[in-house]
Amino acid sequence: MIKLNVNGKDYELEVDGTKRLLDVLRDDLGLTGTKEGCGEGECGACTVIMDGAIVDSCLLLASRCEGRKIITIEGLEREDGKLDPVQQAFIEKGAVQCGFCIPGMVLASKVILDKNENPTDDEIKVGLSGNLCRCTGYNKMVEAVKRAAEIRKEEK
Amino acid sequence: MGYKSVGKRVFRVDARSKVTGKTLYPQDIYMEGMLYGKTLRSTVPHAYIKVDISKAEKIDGVAKIFTAKDITGENHHGVLLKDHEAFCEKKVRRIGDPIAFVVAESQEIAEKAVDKIEVTYEEIEGVFDPIEAMKEDSPKVHEGQSNLMYEYNLKKGNAEDAFKECDVIAENEYRVGMVDHAFLQPEAGIAYMEGDKVVVCVSSQYPHFDKLEIAEALGIEESKVKCLNPAIGGAFGGREDITLQIHLALAARTLGKPVKAIYSRKESFLAHAKRHAVIMRCKTGATKDGKLKALKAEFIGDTGAYASWAINVMRKCGIHGTGPYEIPNVEIKSCAVYTNNPFAGAMRGFGATQAPVSYEQQMDVLAEKLGMDPIEFRMKNIFRIGSHTATGQELYESVPLDRCLEAVEGYFKGRSSDICKADDTKKRGIGYAASFYGTGYGNGFPDISVGEAELSREGNINIYLAAADCGQGSDTIMQQIAAEPFKSDIDIINYFSRNTDMTKDSGTAAASRQTYNTGNAVRIAAEKLKNTLLEKAKEQLGLNTALGLDISDGEIFLKTKKEIRISLKELAEKMYGAGEIEAELVREEATFIAQTTEMDQENGQGCPYWPYTFGAGGIEVEIDTATGKLEIIDAASAQDVGRAINPELVEGQMDGGFAMGYGYAVFEDLGIQNGRIKNDRFSGYLIPTAKDTPNLKKFIIEDPESTGPYGAKGIGEPVLTYVAPAILNAIYAAVGVRIYELPATPEKILKGLKEKKKKQSV
Repeated sequence: MIKLNVNGKDYELEVDGTKRLLDVLRDDLGLTGTKEGCGEGECGACTVIMDGAIVDSCLLLASRCEGRKIITIEGLEREDGKLDPVQQAFIEKGAVQCGFCIPGMVLASKVILDKNENPTDDEIKVGLSGNLCRCTGYNKMVEAVKRAAEIRKEEK
Repeated sequence: MGYKSVGKRVFRVDARSKVTGKTLYPQDIYMEGMLYGKTLRSTVPHAYIKVDISKAEKIDGVAKIFTAKDITGENHHGVLLKDHEAFCEKKVRRIGDPIAFVVAESQEIAEKAVDKIEVTYEEIEGVFDPIEAMKEDSPKVHEGQSNLMYEYNLKKGNAEDAFKECDVIAENEYRVGMVDHAFLQPEAGIAYMEGDKVVVCVSSQYPHFDKLEIAEALGIEESKVKCLNPAIGGAFGGREDITLQIHLALAARTLGKPVKAIYSRKESFLAHAKRHAVIMRCKTGATKDGKLKALKAEFIGDTGAYASWAINVMRKCGIHGTGPYEIPNVEIKSCAVYTNNPFAGAMRGFGATQAPVSYEQQMDVLAEKLGMDPIEFRMKNIFRIGSHTATGQELYESVPLDRCLEAVEGYFKGRSSDICKADDTKKRGIGYAASFYGTGYGNGFPDISVGEAELSREGNINIYLAAADCGQGSDTIMQQIAAEPFKSDIDIINYFSRNTDMTKDSGTAAASRQTYNTGNAVRIAAEKLKNTLLEKAKEQLGLNTALGLDISDGEIFLKTKKEIRISLKELAEKMYGAGEIEAELVREEATFIAQTTEMDQENGQGCPYWPYTFGAGGIEVEIDTATGKLEIIDAASAQDVGRAINPELVEGQMDGGFAMGYGYAVFEDLGIQNGRIKNDRFSGYLIPTAKDTPNLKKFIIEDPESTGPYGAKGIGEPVLTYVAPAILNAIYAAVGVRIYELPATPEKILKGLKEKKKKQSV
């Protein structure tokens, strides 16, 4: 039995030793926004935020996440339907194509901005380099992160 | 231009659900009581097989193990030739061939059972080199058939004689290897029964064709199969051949329960096609005034164990072998050969991506021999209005290649690589490339799209269209096109595209044909509906004629007296009535068929594609001569689009195509040896990351094509075709090393530098 906080909700879950955090999120909690692209921590599609840092949920055994606070893509949209600035900026800047990498990209982008209000292009690119995208060539994602930084300032 | 919807940077219709994680890909669908499937695949490249499932099927929790003998219809599939078996019966022809499909109560049990299936392989000698495979005594991949499975010959003028009149000749061999689409969403799917109909949910570029292949393999009527196309996590040609559709449908229908399967990344690498590896031998000659005179080229494509699209890919490669240049004397031979390598099929560019790696390096080699600027040399020879291609097709409009080249040249103008030089070991250089791309299936094959438009009960416009949105954005583009006749933004549209029971066949999302072909079909359907609605409004408004009636933002009005008007909502209420008996909705259908002609068998003359699309790239690289490491400093692409339906989405394609071309040129290598893919994971198969990819300057070149919807042409593939050769030409500009075989790894660049040094010291 482990205790987890996912998107602000507490869960007590029965997990066997081999279950990955990714499996718990998708199969047990129905949070299918978190994707599996490679299963070896290379593509970042399974990125979630754990205690403020991005992690590959395909590499983490759920049993090792006791007491952790996890944010998945489903946890970003606010209750009134308002989107997180990163989500809004990804739409505005045309940074979305097939979308499979997008939940991970959005969460990685959020953490970039949580740590650095005014990231440079290079800092954004380094921050996104753990997440693969085959469609967009990343240019519009970099623009989106910069746009999200603006929206965050406007909201303050 | 005065368009209301076309040409606008409309936000993608699917963006919100994608950024919130709500979009469902097939792996995200869970059903009550579902079973899990796992495929057993061949571990050797060429062998006769015997399969024993007796131990595996006794494992607790195994529902059934399917093999060739369980196929209820024809045990075959294939986009053109039916040379794939759904399950190999007697022989495997490549590593990864499907042999059995275990269905069990859990993923773990299915995997355990796969391990317990006993396959006895009686290995046969394999053949892995297409040149070896063409020899008469080579092992035959398909028994009783020659490995040389296709040959295309293009002849114009007399190349042999013309070389005698050339002042400079470049003769080189270039090689490009197989690469993978590496879309982020591995294949997955779920199938279930709905009455006596089997429903298959697998992301696909062409669900209507999947339906045919499933029905044939299961031996049932097409009407008993429904394909739903959930969100597609990238495709690039890799979701055209059947992977798990037949297995899932067969299992769900046999067992009467939902069956789901998800491929691992490794299995994904094994399951779908690769880009054709091509050996390209080119002899190109020009006169000293810089005019191209003759080309003799041979393209040998390795299609691996199965045909897939080999015929069409290698035909396209041959037709595009001249590059976008007028050459009076051409002799091209292009062929496809079976081997026991992974099978090759469609991948973005489809033969027109491989060819520029040869012809655009040839252009630079010749320009250097002539002592001419490479852009100036190209400008003397490029296709312009009135030009004829090597197949004799007249290009009578929308040929803005000069503008594309001018745009990228202008972007880099005034920069000198010498000034840019960072320090002694690092050298910079700028390279250019141009290319062209013929849209559609080609060669006279019927290229048909059907679209439907309907007035909804609420006064909106329902659009039924089967175009698959693989991420390129067709769902958004089609709505923009459909809204235009109504002079409305896309809010007026309800869009239905993901269900084969609700839509007619719009052909495949391939060959950069959806915007052009299906865009035309939906444009015509929407225009027909508009005209019908104007007639209906005439009756409701008590007018004698529909003349002078117009529509915008959901209202029909008389242009000479705008107070005489009726909203579509009111019109729908009047037409359909509010009573118990609801009238049938007014629906209009339109078909668009592209115009191409079949080429002459002997000389390859004809009009194989229409329209052609043009583009150019300029790239500045920096090479560290101590390590061979390459970095892209700056890059520009200029893409002819006819007209941009949505510039934001066009730019997205240009960015994505650039990154894919960059990967092709510099990183991507499957490491295939004796038919085995060594780099079958993202830790080994490297694709560009955000850190690798430079900012790209994008020039959208508009020159409307009169047969396109609002002048638009497709650009999904063209945007990639000039990238790799521009990088290769930039490497040469930087350090004087010509790369003849992709990818241009640091090792190859260093080796080239050493050889150059050796030559200079002699």
